Amino acid sequence: MSYLAHIKRETRFLFKQRYVLAILSIVFSLSVFAVWSGILESQAQSKTIERLIEKDAQERAHILTKKSDYGSAGYYSFHLTYSEPSSAAFAAIGQRDIHPWKHRIRLLALEGQIYETDAANPELSFVGRFDFAFLASVLLPLFVILLLHDMRAAERSSGRYDLLISTAGTWKHLWLARALVLTSALMLALILPLLAGALWSQTPIKLTASMALVVIGHLVFWSLMVLWYTASSFAQKQTSAQIASVLLSAWLAVTVLVPVASDMAINHMIDSPNGGDIVLTQREAVNDAWDLPAKETWDVFLTDYPQWRELATKPPEKGFNWKWYYAFQHVGDLKTHELSQGFRDAKIAKDTLAGRFALLSPPMFTQRLIASIAQTDTQAAVAYEQSVRDYHQTMRHFYYPRLFGEAEFDQQEMAKLPEFSHL
Amino acid sequence: MTPIKLIMADEWRFWKRTRLAVSVIFMGIALTLVAAIVNTVEMQHATHEREHLQHTSESRFLEQPDRHPHRMVHYGHYVFRTPAPLSIIEPGVDDYSGSSIFLEGHKQNTPMFAEQGQASGMTHFSNLTPSFLLQVIVPLFIILVGYASITREKEAGTLNIMLTQGVSLWSLMLGKLFALAGSGLLMLVPLVIAVIWAASNGEALLTSLSFVFGYLVYILIWSGIVIAASAMHKRSSASFTTLVGLWIVLCILTPRIASTGASAIAPTPGKLETDFIVTKELEKLGNGHNVSDPAFDQLKQELFSKYNVDKIEDLPFNFRGTAVQIFEEKLTTVLNEFAEQRMAEELNQALIARQFGWLSPTTAMRSLSMVIAGSSIETHHRFLREAETLRYDFVQSLNKIQTDDMTYEDDMKGYDDPASRVESSNWELLSTFSFKPDSASTRVARSLPYAAQLLFWLLLVGLSMRLALRRVS
Repeated sequence: MSYLAHIKRETRFLFKQRYVLAILSIVFSLSVFAVWSGILESQAQSKTIERLIEKDAQERAHILTKKSDYGSAGYYSFHLTYSEPSSAAFAAIGQRDIHPWKHRIRLLALEGQIYETDAANPELSFVGRFDFAFLASVLLPLFVILLLHDMRAAERSSGRYDLLISTAGTWKHLWLARALVLTSALMLALILPLLAGALWSQTPIKLTASMALVVIGHLVFWSLMVLWYTASSFAQKQTSAQIASVLLSAWLAVTVLVPVASDMAINHMIDSPNGGDIVLTQREAVNDAWDLPAKETWDVFLTDYPQWRELATKPPEKGFNWKWYYAFQHVGDLKTHELSQGFRDAKIAKDTLAGRFALLSPPMFTQRLIASIAQTDTQAAVAYEQSVRDYHQTMRHFYYPRLFGEAEFDQQEMAKLPEFSHL
Repeated sequence: MTPIKLIMADEWRFWKRTRLAVSVIFMGIALTLVAAIVNTVEMQHATHEREHLQHTSESRFLEQPDRHPHRMVHYGHYVFRTPAPLSIIEPGVDDYSGSSIFLEGHKQNTPMFAEQGQASGMTHFSNLTPSFLLQVIVPLFIILVGYASITREKEAGTLNIMLTQGVSLWSLMLGKLFALAGSGLLMLVPLVIAVIWAASNGEALLTSLSFVFGYLVYILIWSGIVIAASAMHKRSSASFTTLVGLWIVLCILTPRIASTGASAIAPTPGKLETDFIVTKELEKLGNGHNVSDPAFDQLKQELFSKYNVDKIEDLPFNFRGTAVQIFEEKLTTVLNEFAEQRMAEELNQALIARQFGWLSPTTAMRSLSMVIAGSSIETHHRFLREAETLRYDFVQSLNKIQTDDMTYEDDMKGYDDPASRVESSNWELLSTFSFKPDSASTRVARSLPYAAQLLFWLLLVGLSMRLALRRVS
């Protein structure tokens, strides 16, 4: 019998089994739901950003009409920053549920603003979303186990085992053909909705292909693992339910125990400054400045911006002026710099370590790969935060010459303020 | 011994012989025990840390030197939410919501530093919390232990022998059920110990008992599901696959579909988006820092005629303080209106997700658990409201000092003039903040819909056991 004939026969056989068909159609509908809700969420985020951009520009224009100096223009006008969901984001909400992807900032000290978040509903984030990445990483192994665990045992218990082997020529062909058909059917049920979603979202082929490859890789891993175990000598003495129990325990170990233990280890290995300390430090720095002699602020500020030495120290000794105000805002950021950098470094270090620990857990590894292709991982969140910091600096550099040069306020000039851009 | 007890004892004897069941039960106990210990340590650490930060923040406020009271309005204050005692079992939204807020004049800030933002991201599916283990993993363990309870007897032909010997099917099923539930209860023991610990740390008896009772019912539901499925199938393997399928759907899928569904059904615009409307509304209030803002014209005229003066310098109090006081009051009314709206939207989303409890006992259990533990969104909102009350109180007290204890002339001298300062002893107006979850009766009352969902499941399971009974005989 040729190999192709095996496959044909197994395919026919497969479609006669109600149980197999039920599982496949469940996987297919779950995949459709995951992709559909992911697209919905992505679109909602894009639309939100679109609306925000428009309203943000309107509000700023409106506020600026009422301002007559750069100092208060900077104080009262907010600027939107955002991170657009990528065209592949529908497949993984990833860290976008936890890290902010939209933020409004103004010219004041950044450390006092950047930790404000417009967060998602915490109760929904806590339960977790159902997205394609979840289906492909956490649930997929369960379906593989359900489909493949009793290929042999079921035949054995129904007494067909020996008959099958004697009629199917070499027995290896039989199991492999059957496993191949089941695995491919599962793959199609899983991936077809993904491909449709990618087509709809105009995801670049390269991203779609790599995502599909990750899913197939994960699927092949579990299929081989199940096949290997069912063929092993332990499994020969077990009932199909016992085989499945062993496989489920393996799933439990890599999906629950390894990540949880890794998380504990990572938290132990990486020390992070306390967030509360950052904001308390920056508040002290900014507030103390009001009572300190202006010179102390200037000394620190001018080490960073020596080019404003001439223009900065000219203002009167007494009373309020915007130059000094923005100088101590910046000094507030400088004083917090180390803590804040430590906070970010810890976040990155934890993510890097998590990447290594994920090698011990195929489901976590899969999830991370998909989120990274979809650009919804921690790295993307860190990059977005950096782009907000960069933009804040661009903004300051736009205002400084105008503030320190005591330029006459000009609405036309404000149109030159660089716009936020990310990626 | 009654037949039920006999069957129970027999089942236990069988488990003792097959190592699988014993090792599963043992693993379940070990896991929940470790989880309970780790969480107790972590939550205690978080409590101490937040209490410490709260204390630091308060003493820093008090240590501030003499200065203009409005400077203190902008100096602001931090509040931290300490976790509820039952968080050692059910941390709920704590890791996702942020537990500190910066309070300042004219602004309502969002909570900051949600733990998850600084986490490794490994625990997005699973968590080493007793609640996750009991809600998701223990049902799987119950399945592993009990899927063959009745099919085994069928396959070995012992079922018919028992029936002909006069054992009623009901006592057989109940015996098996109690035996299985007993194994589940063993895994519940670490939770009971943790609850006793929480109770000794200030958790009310009512909540502690309802909490344990909820989990008891949950374990009974899953044991019932397993027995019913086992009775309905002829072969152990079929019963096993059905149960694992049910577990995937009820424990893993439905809760997530619930939260994804809720955000699709009732999307919330988020704070940034409503902020634009808020800014527009606030603009109408004028600028509280500027007494010549036209927004205060009418008020000034009223005060002038009341005190029979014609300029603000002659009023018997500092008009600048009055202006900021009135401004803060109106502003807070507007801000609160939008904050309440946002909280209502968020709560609505959560309530929609919780309706899925009718479709999955796990969702019902999770809602019940969070609500009773005081780690649900309602408690988070309560924290936001209490923080806001504190913010308004200290800002207005400072504004009152500016009105009553300063003259308009001194106030006008500028922030760096000693005459425009008040003594630092005034800062003692700050009341200490200590967050307590809702009262026990409120939490229990709030959990009733989810208790009803659980009872509905118990009923459903009872009915399916009856159905199974008919199919067996």
